[in-house]
Amino acid sequence: MIRNFLKVAIRNLWRNKNFSAINITGLAIGMAAAMLILLWVQNEISYDRFYEKTNRIHIVYSRDKNNGKIDVWNRTTALLAPALKKDYPEVEDAVRFRPVYFLMTFGEKHLNVQGSFADSSFLSVLNFPFLKGNAKTALNDNHNIVITNKLAIRLFGKTEAMGKTVRIDSADNFTVAGVLKDLPGNTELEFEYLLPWTYITKLGWDNNQTWSSSNAATYVLLKKGISREAFDEKIKNIVRHHKKDGDGSTREVFTQPLSMAHLYSKSENGKLIGGRVETVKLFIAIALVILAIACINFMNLSTARSEKRAKEVGIRKVVGARKNSLIMQFIGESTILALIAFIIAICLVQISLGGFSEVVGVPLFINFGNLYWWLFALAFILFTGLIAGSYPAFYISSSRPAEVLKGTFKNASALIKPRKLLVVLQFTFAIILIICTIIVERQLQFARSRDTGYNKGNLVYIFSQGDVIKNYRLIKHDLLSTGAAVAVTKTFSPITRVWGTATGLSWQGSTEADKKLNFLLFEADDDFAKTTGAKLLQGRDIDINSYPTDSTALLFNEAAVKAMHLQDPVGKTIKNANGVNCHIIGVLKDFIIESPYDEVKPMIIQGLSTGYPVVHFRLNPANSVGIDLAKAEKIFKQYNRQYPFEYVFADEAFARKFREEQQDSTLSALFAGLTVFISCLGLFGLATYMAENRKKEIGIRKVLGASTSSITTLLSLDFIKLVLLAIIIASPIAWWTMNTWLQGYTYRIQVEWWVFVMAGFVAVAIALLTVSFQSVKAALMNPVRSLRSE
Amino acid sequence: MIKITDLEKFYRTEEVETIALNKLSIEVKKGEFVAIMGPSGCGKSTLLNILGMLDDPDGGSYMFNSVEVAHFNERKRADLRKHNIGFVFQSFNLIDELTVFENVELPLIYTGVPSSERVKRVEEVLDKMQIMHRRNHYPQQLSGGQQQRVAIARAVVNKPKLILADEPTGNLDSSNGNEVMELLTDLNEHGTTIIMVTHSEHDARYSHRIIRLLDGQTVMENIMI
Ligand SMILES: Nc1ncnc2c1ncn2[C@@H]1O[C@H](COP(=O)(O)OP(=O)(O)OP(=O)(O)O)[C@@H](O)[C@H]1O
Ligand SMILES: [Mg+2]
Repeated sequence: MIRNFLKVAIRNLWRNKNFSAINITGLAIGMAAAMLILLWVQNEISYDRFYEKTNRIHIVYSRDKNNGKIDVWNRTTALLAPALKKDYPEVEDAVRFRPVYFLMTFGEKHLNVQGSFADSSFLSVLNFPFLKGNAKTALNDNHNIVITNKLAIRLFGKTEAMGKTVRIDSADNFTVAGVLKDLPGNTELEFEYLLPWTYITKLGWDNNQTWSSSNAATYVLLKKGISREAFDEKIKNIVRHHKKDGDGSTREVFTQPLSMAHLYSKSENGKLIGGRVETVKLFIAIALVILAIACINFMNLSTARSEKRAKEVGIRKVVGARKNSLIMQFIGESTILALIAFIIAICLVQISLGGFSEVVGVPLFINFGNLYWWLFALAFILFTGLIAGSYPAFYISSSRPAEVLKGTFKNASALIKPRKLLVVLQFTFAIILIICTIIVERQLQFARSRDTGYNKGNLVYIFSQGDVIKNYRLIKHDLLSTGAAVAVTKTFSPITRVWGTATGLSWQGSTEADKKLNFLLFEADDDFAKTTGAKLLQGRDIDINSYPTDSTALLFNEAAVKAMHLQDPVGKTIKNANGVNCHIIGVLKDFIIESPYDEVKPMIIQGLSTGYPVVHFRLNPANSVGIDLAKAEKIFKQYNRQYPFEYVFADEAFARKFREEQQDSTLSALFAGLTVFISCLGLFGLATYMAENRKKEIGIRKVLGASTSSITTLLSLDFIKLVLLAIIIASPIAWWTMNTWLQGYTYRIQVEWWVFVMAGFVAVAIALLTVSFQSVKAALMNPVRSLRSE
Repeated sequence: MIKITDLEKFYRTEEVETIALNKLSIEVKKGEFVAIMGPSGCGKSTLLNILGMLDDPDGGSYMFNSVEVAHFNERKRADLRKHNIGFVFQSFNLIDELTVFENVELPLIYTGVPSSERVKRVEEVLDKMQIMHRRNHYPQQLSGGQQQRVAIARAVVNKPKLILADEPTGNLDSSNGNEVMELLTDLNEHGTTIIMVTHSEHDARYSHRIIRLLDGQTVMENIMI
């Protein structure tokens, strides 16, 4: 029986080659797209789940009130881990992790690499696999270092890494005591080497560590059977308990399974409620939609064909087939098709995986060695086969043989209606995606073209390391005198980032509520406006070299002046949270330093006090960028020999702020394209079928005098009506979706009506193109031939 | 073997209700060869479909081998059908995707005959119908007469007790038609009951008895000598 089914299925496929090709291609593309997306999803949800004790590892978050909101962040004081270990029997271990950038030197090799300080038992809790050495001893000695295989190769090439000595920041020597396998892509932790925590103490970096500090990531390994909720309740107020002065701190801590950290990073009201997980959900939905569209195609084309097979079904019934066996046969056939499509889909996925990985920014691959993958694949094929084959299967096999034997179904319209519905559904999805693509792209353009308020072109910055600070005067002098740069400034953070905030300011006429105002904090020594191109509206730039009092000078941006309701701000005195009186020397035009989608927040620039500033310089526009940089490199190499010359272009750093939206835009364009393509395949198949089925009708019409164009119109119009209906359904849905999406941005475009018109126009044009080929072909057919063939 | 009493069948469309069979009563005995005749649209095909359990009646009783089958569900009807009844149609109704051999084999597959036995039986009937040499051809590659012989082969391969034929010679020329009639007569002589719808007085003469229908009712029965 099965053999008989198979035979018919394969012969059927072969006899309708074009039809089968369209059917399988559509399904394969849909499957491939869904598979790619699900691979990405699988990667996202697999973050930090590979540890031996994953279920018991938690990361500690801090939470505090800020400008009336509750902020949540994933750092705590370094004092927390030892206290947890000492005072809480629930805790099996608690380890700290603090990222750091050091220059590593081996022989003549100098590398600037990110690593981290870590407690000695860190690798026993988060057991990243070792290639050499082991977790117990690797970080036990104060002079040991653990490195990844990647770094080992960069430093030592092919030679044995274990036991070699590397210099850290040209100051201290460490011995390689362990080599880790390269970190997997699916971990939130980033480091190429681990240094013992004791080194921080030796450097004196934790001298002023208090219970309000927060510069360490703390990971807690709870004992077996401990409830996290109960533990959270116990440690909630640990910061307040330890603060001797009991200054009314509102700081709290709580834990979250480490495996959830990647997915849940956004907080609301002090609770982690979303983040990456939203994108994951959205992507799952999109994968299902694309798959559904492909299945709809499949169903549609299969039903269209099944009318032709009505006779076969009738005969089978006459000679004794039961309904169930016919249903089985149809579903079996669609499962075979699904299987073929799946195999093609896997090939497509393998081909496109590289490109897709680049778009989403993570390396993805199919793990063929995984049993679950195969089970999933099997389920996937059966499910698709079942969904796709169910409609024709149940519909046809429940018809009465006496009717069926008459040739076609009496009520063929019963089949056409749902088919039209499916086309409408498909195009609804397609149009929604087209609209989304246009709007996402426009929002991106809009934010990109927003005036940043400073001149980001030709602006370069470097993080000061080694001797840069010591030799800063000389470097600045040489940069200017050689003509490599036209202006140089030292700042607290790069022009595209904010690392500090200030609160508790008071001034003449300020209220108690004003003390709660939160300002972004930036520092600069001199020539800030000149170098960055920010516009001074009033007063003058900071210049701590010419004016000794400028260590207490403040520059405000417009937003800050507005928030403080100051008239004539220049010259006013402001008392900061430490009680120091500062004076306002100038007002800058608002410029974007954080998100290009948000309003510019109140910001203060004060005289530079940090010991690790960022050096910005504006390249000399008279020379080419290459020449300027070559000159600059020479100067930095001269005064800071040990360190590589690593610079960042401000405009490139700024562009990185658009990465996510750029991804959204690329992906929505990709998905829209795919959906449209699959829908068109379906439409094409359907049009082919319709044209074939109406051959006789067309022949008769032509005999009676219809023109080619009137017949083409007749055949195409049917489909265009469906697409128009889809536009009507899609528009409000797309409008709502995009409006919701745009709400996430303060600086955003309005959804305009022409977008819908354009999307509709595109959809109709594409549909028309698809259908007209078949319509014209049918209309041009010689009526004598089509009539005879009936 | 077959006894129908007051059998009714209506077709309802949006506008009209057609009475296809109007309280029709007929009896057919085992081993009989009955021809049903009548003008177009009088309900012959409808009757045959109901007798073959392809369709269900709207009223009346249908005794098949002394069992009331009028209310059988689809599954029971399919089971009864595949063991007892063979069909021959005017338009042959062969499956285009299957070869001659596979078409004939189909009923045996559905009745669960093992594969080796199937080959034997199919070859036997193909031989009898003289189309053995065409066993691997597809229906489109055969002439009308040959196709009808395949259809008959398929109808008899399961050794049914009853054969229902709806204008089996309707699409054939007279020599092919006669051949088909000879085949049916031969089957009947070997004990198979046959009910045949026909428009041809010539073909009807092969039967034992002619039932004439008009507007879904029996108007006359001729017994052939
Ligand atoms: N599916 C149907 N829906 C509505 N009416 C039907 C249907 N099938 C048959 N009829 C009607 O029932 C009546 C009997 O039809 P039937 O096919 O049994 O006639 P027939 O005697 O076989 O005619 P012919 O000799 O032309 O084959 C006719 O009036 C026909 O119009
Ligand atoms: Mg008829």
